[in-house]
Amino acid sequence: MHLVQMLFMPLSIILSVVLLFPVPGWAAEGEVFPDLDINDPVALQEGSRVLEEELKLAARAQTYLLIDLVSGVIQIKARGVDLHRLPVAAWTVTELPRLTGTFRLTARPPVIRRKIDPSATTEQEPISLSDMPTEYRLSFTPAMTMDVESADSQGTMGWIHATSRKAWKQLRAWKQRLAGVQSPGEASTISLTLSSEQAQSLAWSTVDGMPVVIRRPSEP
Amino acid sequence: MKRVLLLIGSVLSFGLLVALIPYSSSQLQSSIASAPQPLAVDPVVLRGLQSQYKSLKKQLAQFAPHQHYILVDTARNHLYIKRSQEIVLDALASTGSGVVLDKPGEGSTQWVFDTPRGEFTVQSKLTHPAWVKPDWAFIEEGLMVPKNPADRVEQGVLGDYALGFGKGYFIHGTLYTRLLGKNVTHGCIRLNDDDLKSVYQLARVGTPIMIF
Repeated sequence: MHLVQMLFMPLSIILSVVLLFPVPGWAAEGEVFPDLDINDPVALQEGSRVLEEELKLAARAQTYLLIDLVSGVIQIKARGVDLHRLPVAAWTVTELPRLTGTFRLTARPPVIRRKIDPSATTEQEPISLSDMPTEYRLSFTPAMTMDVESADSQGTMGWIHATSRKAWKQLRAWKQRLAGVQSPGEASTISLTLSSEQAQSLAWSTVDGMPVVIRRPSEP
Repeated sequence: MKRVLLLIGSVLSFGLLVALIPYSSSQLQSSIASAPQPLAVDPVVLRGLQSQYKSLKKQLAQFAPHQHYILVDTARNHLYIKRSQEIVLDALASTGSGVVLDKPGEGSTQWVFDTPRGEFTVQSKLTHPAWVKPDWAFIEEGLMVPKNPADRVEQGVLGDYALGFGKGYFIHGTLYTRLLGKNVTHGCIRLNDDDLKSVYQLARVGTPIMIF
């Protein structure tokens, strides 16, 4: 066995175990937030705040995203109905208190679309889920960015690269905070780690202007 | 030797996890510290919050479809008919290919063959529909667009039924059943004959169609 593989095998096993337990694709019936502790006033406040945002969105014919950081799941919703769920393997966030209200998608990864050539005899290959990126950035207004990265398609070296990049980003954010250089207007950032397929599904399902609501944890 | 390497790997991995996780938590803690302070757990206040939460949940539930609704997963090419959380029908479908075609003589404008995402409703229900071929159907085959509207009509390619959901998009049948499960259409949603019949029977004009 390769030396690097030997060294990182234990961590790979831990990550694999974490990724083996995804949330089911269909929503649980009934309860909006099954994990909400109704005796926790902060959790209730946050749950009510999210529901108030959802009420505004569900009143219109549209799909929207609910990023539930408490349950670790992204829900594609319409009319308050949970259409599809994408499990989140890991997340980090900066400027959590600012993640209130409704954000609208302003920029998403470009899709390379194949063009039909009427003079050609062969049909053009359609776009499929596998054409979607596994690592990308979504931008929103009010200012918020969401970095999506894949956890399971990179091999050992890819994982080392992704972890180093994440650690570097966190180190920079930490340094900025220690130095007190964060301006009051600085955008919030959410980093989400999803499986490759879920990252591609999210890229596939997002549309320009899509509204997003975030449910924040009340405890670290 | 193997055991020593595994031990070193475990120690390194543990160290790495310890180094990363507390940072994430401290980042979160600092954010929460600056968030609004939690209310004191006063039973009256708590009951008020519980009541508000329940009321909002109830209000949100009012928006959910109370009859059948159609759900289309364009990534996996499935069409479902659901009633509340129950899946009444799970059908393999074909949805938009996502490819593009230049509009001749219109500069850089293009047709984009995507199935639209969002919420729609069934606007029309047709039996034995005829396909009135749009311009792109001729252009993509390198043919001239006919001047006589009658030359656009093609019978028997859409199956026995079609359900329109706006802007020329339909749920309809197909001759190419081997392509079900793939993104091959110009934006319409294709089903096999049996599933199409079920959808036609279960859906009414006004039935919501949610596409993601």
